[in-house]
Amino acid sequence: MFVVPLDSLVPDYVKTFEAYIPSKPDPELMKLYGCDRLYRLNNNENPLGPPPGAQEIMRLFPPPRAGLYPSGDSYYMRCRLAELYGMDPDQFLFGNGANEVIAFVIKAFCQEGDNIITADKTFAVYEWVATFSGFAAKLIPLKDFGFDDKGMLDAIDERTKILFVCNPNNPTGTYWSEEKLRGFLDAVAGRQIVVIDEAYCEFVEKNDYPDGMKLIGEYPNLVVFRTFSKMYGLAGLRIGYLTGSMGVVDVIRRTCVVYSVNTVAQDAALAAIDDIDHICRTREVVNTEKRYLKKELDGLGLETQIGEGCFIMIRLPMSDTLAYRKLMREGVMIRSMTGFRFPNWIRVSIGKHGAMEAFVEALKKVLSG
Amino acid sequence: MIFSDQEATMKDHTNEVSLTISSDRQFLPLAMSFTEASAKAFGLEKTDALKLTLACEETFTYICSICKETKSLVMKATNGLYYVGVQFLFRAADFDPGAFNLTAQASPEDEKGLDEMGLIIASRSVERFQISHSPEGVSLVLIKEKSYPQMPEITMPELKPLKDFTITSPDPGTLKLFAGQIVHSYPDHLYPRDFHFPGKLVDMVASGEYGAAVAISKEGLTGGGVAWFRSSGKMVEVFGPYLFDQPPRSSAAERLIDAVVEGLAKTDTLFLIVMYATPELPAGYFEPLGTIDIFKKGSPPAAITVYCRQLKEDPGSTVWFHPEIEEFLKKEYRRLYFARHMKPTESAGEARPEHSVFAARFVKAQNTVILNAIWDGVDFADNLDRHISTLSGEGIPNIFFEIDLAYAWQANLIPLLLGREFIPRLVLPYAGEGDVVLFQQRKGL
Ligand SMILES: Cc1ncc(COP(=O)(O)O)c(C=O)c1O
Repeated sequence: MFVVPLDSLVPDYVKTFEAYIPSKPDPELMKLYGCDRLYRLNNNENPLGPPPGAQEIMRLFPPPRAGLYPSGDSYYMRCRLAELYGMDPDQFLFGNGANEVIAFVIKAFCQEGDNIITADKTFAVYEWVATFSGFAAKLIPLKDFGFDDKGMLDAIDERTKILFVCNPNNPTGTYWSEEKLRGFLDAVAGRQIVVIDEAYCEFVEKNDYPDGMKLIGEYPNLVVFRTFSKMYGLAGLRIGYLTGSMGVVDVIRRTCVVYSVNTVAQDAALAAIDDIDHICRTREVVNTEKRYLKKELDGLGLETQIGEGCFIMIRLPMSDTLAYRKLMREGVMIRSMTGFRFPNWIRVSIGKHGAMEAFVEALKKVLSG
Repeated sequence: MIFSDQEATMKDHTNEVSLTISSDRQFLPLAMSFTEASAKAFGLEKTDALKLTLACEETFTYICSICKETKSLVMKATNGLYYVGVQFLFRAADFDPGAFNLTAQASPEDEKGLDEMGLIIASRSVERFQISHSPEGVSLVLIKEKSYPQMPEITMPELKPLKDFTITSPDPGTLKLFAGQIVHSYPDHLYPRDFHFPGKLVDMVASGEYGAAVAISKEGLTGGGVAWFRSSGKMVEVFGPYLFDQPPRSSAAERLIDAVVEGLAKTDTLFLIVMYATPELPAGYFEPLGTIDIFKKGSPPAAITVYCRQLKEDPGSTVWFHPEIEEFLKKEYRRLYFARHMKPTESAGEARPEHSVFAARFVKAQNTVILNAIWDGVDFADNLDRHISTLSGEGIPNIFFEIDLAYAWQANLIPLLLGREFIPRLVLPYAGEGDVVLFQQRKGL
């Protein structure tokens, strides 16, 4: 048998990178923790699931089609988006979730010695992809729970290629207004790529919240991410996309993986995209349950950070990872936030009322001993 | 605050040199000059370099004696800044590391005894050693620490309660001062002995094995700080927080712990552990794991609470257990809310190596030694007896033994420990390859 010389085969930046281990499937977790139910409130999924039209697509999917490749570049989906937003179909690139398009952008623009800039306490995948690809991630501390525009601008150097802004931010729910985003884009002045991750944009109802799509015409260095995992309830099918100016997207196309979005996902997303009613119903549930949680948590005297999006943050008077284990035993799974560099905070995804009640009950039990 | 720069320091390959030679006594002078030259180049003083060279001379000679035919072996010298390590990588079926036991004795009567005498000399000439077995062969690392001057008495700077302060990684000057402030303000069982050697602390931090963060006022005064040590791959031991002339419940303590947690949150560290908590340890950050008793001559035992904090969501894991501690483990896992799949194991007469080897870690300030088995052997019980009597003879009342539940062979040793009045005190999650049970010898109790 050969001994693989891993020491010389593996680049240092991979050697030192810590792999992310996703949680085990529900039945395994229930067995391990000895609970007979599990409310998964850790992944910011839509409590209502996929819209009815998309559900119908899945039910009626003709199995023989699984033997054929899907459209390699999500053709009909791109045409529909182009129509909706008044853009060209070639301005869109699809991926196996928005997660995958993060890598497309980094691969397209970064080479050895380059860096990206983002926040220290935000969605971790920008930092991860940069780091395990050998590029430095400059992490600018949040200011009052929000992305620090000035701090990010000050950190730009001649090797900075991409700035990632999560708007609204996961996990804090803060967002940049249109004015602030424009100010930032003006200051960058087209020199670097600015990515605005709008994974949760459909949850935001504020008037001053910017629609990144509309700014692409003015700012050709702007790239916008969207996903069908959150508002459209298709997280299990894995479909997301990026869009930007023609020139920039032409470059990113070279590093994008084709055929990575399956047929069901493409068809289901096409059926979901026009369902305004589903958006309204989801917002209704999210708003109602956020108000319910706020009242209960205030009653417990806990500090909260509740912004936009289908999640909230709570500061606990105990270690968040201990709270995770204790809540698991009660059959409630939340996200402990030490991993987001928020010690003693947890993030709870909004679920249906029964799940929220179960969470509050379990939390009370955990806090009382 | 993110400490990635420090972590990177150790990865520099200019801090490593290696040599591939044959296991042939002819090459002894080469092996020795390789050791001596790299030890000096990496900053060991002459006498320390000679001690390491002597240890390597004995080790190389021993390896030649047990290799039936000439084989190639690799020697690798590493500059750990506060130490120099020399690793031997070789293949030998007959390697018997028994001589590395603290208690080893060899009779110079026969030839085997003479060879082993050499290894005993080697193990006594260095501060630490590591032995492991892998598909690539046996790895034996001898570690010689550098000598540093002890800290002179310092005059404490005038301090006021910190109003505006920032948490930063200290520069070497601030770090030395910080060590001085700790030694001046805290009893010596609340910090590691290395803090008496400020230069060593600076090198340890630079090597990436230790870390430190301080709370600095606008005027540049250090009002407090915290230090930590990567004790195994996944566990980091935290010392402090230490505060100097600050009001009780100062927010500096929380901010310092936040900085440690945030800095390590995205590394491979799974756990923080606090063995000697200062009164400043903020509430709500750590979980009490349990207590151990520490004995000092002439005073009643002090019960010490050990705290830990997990940095990642616990994915659950599988552990080996011996039926004799099943109840203890179940109770502890339930109390601590750890989800574990437990698999029973017992010795069933399978063949084992001849000689077991223990590693011993001394915590001088506590009069404590922590043993663990790094090599299984049929003589385990005798070896344990020898260790207990040697350690007791040296007046060390606190004897601990760690069992790593990731390894069935270690779990199999549990009845032997119980039979020698060791009692399980704590479960340290992920402290080794898996969860570690800390046994304490009751003789002292
Ligand atoms: C801010 C943000 N961006 C992107 C994603 C990835 O979404 P997808 O499921 O499309 O990969 C997530 C998912 O949690 C997210 O929170």
